[in-house]
Amino acid sequence: MSYLNVDSISVKFGGLQALDRCSFSVEAGRITCLVGPNGAGKTTAFNVISGFLVPEGGTVSFRDRAISGLRPQEIVAIGLARTFQNLRMFVDLSVLDNILVALPRPFGNEPLSAIFRPFKTRAVERARVGQAEELLEQVGLGARTHDMVRDLSYGEQKLISIARVLATGADLLLLDEPSSGLDAEALDDTMVLLGKLQAAGKTLLVVEHNTRVVQRIADTVLFLHQGRLLAQGSPDEIVRDPHLTEIYFGGVL
Amino acid sequence: MDFFLSYIILAEIYALLALSTNLLVGVTGIFSVSQAAVFGVGAYTCSILTTTADVPFGLAILAAAAVCVVVNVLVALPSLRVSGDYFVVTSFGIQFLCTAIFENWVGITGGSSGLTGIPAPEVFGFHTEEPTHFVLMSSAALAIACVCFHLALHSPFGRLLAAIRQDELAVAAAGQNVLRGKVNAAALAGAFNGVAGGLYGAFLSFIDPYSFDMQGSILLVSMVVVGGVRTMAGSIVGPLFLIGLPQLLAFIDIPSSVAGPVRQLTYGVLLVVFMMFRPGGLVGRRL
Repeated sequence: MSYLNVDSISVKFGGLQALDRCSFSVEAGRITCLVGPNGAGKTTAFNVISGFLVPEGGTVSFRDRAISGLRPQEIVAIGLARTFQNLRMFVDLSVLDNILVALPRPFGNEPLSAIFRPFKTRAVERARVGQAEELLEQVGLGARTHDMVRDLSYGEQKLISIARVLATGADLLLLDEPSSGLDAEALDDTMVLLGKLQAAGKTLLVVEHNTRVVQRIADTVLFLHQGRLLAQGSPDEIVRDPHLTEIYFGGVL
Repeated sequence: MDFFLSYIILAEIYALLALSTNLLVGVTGIFSVSQAAVFGVGAYTCSILTTTADVPFGLAILAAAAVCVVVNVLVALPSLRVSGDYFVVTSFGIQFLCTAIFENWVGITGGSSGLTGIPAPEVFGFHTEEPTHFVLMSSAALAIACVCFHLALHSPFGRLLAAIRQDELAVAAAGQNVLRGKVNAAALAGAFNGVAGGLYGAFLSFIDPYSFDMQGSILLVSMVVVGGVRTMAGSIVGPLFLIGLPQLLAFIDIPSSVAGPVRQLTYGVLLVVFMMFRPGGLVGRRL
């Protein structure tokens, strides 16, 4: 059984079949890139895996446990977390607060403990601030800890989204286009960071459009088209396949 | 002196309500326009218990808070399914529903005539008929509520509510429970409303449905907007200002039949002016 197994999931939006009995699997400790032309169903697959969308058919299992039908926060609790293509930052909170929201097992997260046990709340919070600062150092944002997120560049916000997904403690990270919109330097930093995460034992499933990024980071590539897995292989195998290249860049089949 | 103290007591009671509305609307982003209805539930619960069942005021106000916790959670629950404009419309419906109950459940609420003869509370053997005594109780209640509001906002709970206001999907993706956060916010806001309701009935010794109607809910939102969203100071400044306004109008030589509409008109104009030129309110954070 695979680490993550997507088995024959189907999703329809009105008349559009976004996923059509789509199946694939992800191996532990690897970086798997999910590629395909616009509308192939990549983000829809992410939404199903992470519990934001209930499929009309099929199942998703993670570490041999069926997770279809679980709520997003329940899926995060068992070790699978995601980022969003449009980031979804809490822009009116500080960088630190954005990370603290995602750290598990908070104390003082409901009014009774916050009001009646303020000293314990503060003590636990101090330890959690330390953890959050370490994560921000890890993604290279240690100097921006107390800045408001809205004051950070797009590239920096992308790094926060990765730090936030790391803060959940999840082992399988679903990253939706982590390289899009980044300049060359930020792109390079991000790829280095993804490599470090893999080396630290994380498993990554990455939606990616940039073929150079895919070739550099991916162990395995899954090629989606019209809601189904069309091909699977190493980055070189996928990139050199003229049929897939035609679909990806020509947009026709 | 009594006139000034009465103003302070009313402003303090409304500050409790403004803290509640600020928590729900300003901090969490649950745009409820039925907070006066919940306030009414608290006022009727406490007043009925003290007048007809001879329940001591301390117990009655705790019961009112408990009932309002439940009612406010039920009021806020639709916000999990419908958001934004749709929830505003839903909460309008809840407000009208409660007003209809206050007006028509004559046997319990006294209908349009309301409830009279609500006894002044006796707390730990301490009588509060005089405003000089009552103000101590209302000030203590507001001080406790302010401490609760401050501790709640400056905790992981407060951060969670701010995150929910900004992006519920991102909160769920961060592994946090949006439902639990909203229910907890509504519960705490409800407790404030219940205490405010109990104090209101006991202070005026009379309540009727018109104190808890749609205009009341709009007044509460106006207080938060004018005072300032998401700050404790805003929830105190807003009521002080807007409760003071009719007192000032009382000094102007205009017929009482005109004073009421002028007051409503002033609230409306202030709401529009603040939303246009100072959306964060007098001492609030930016929207």
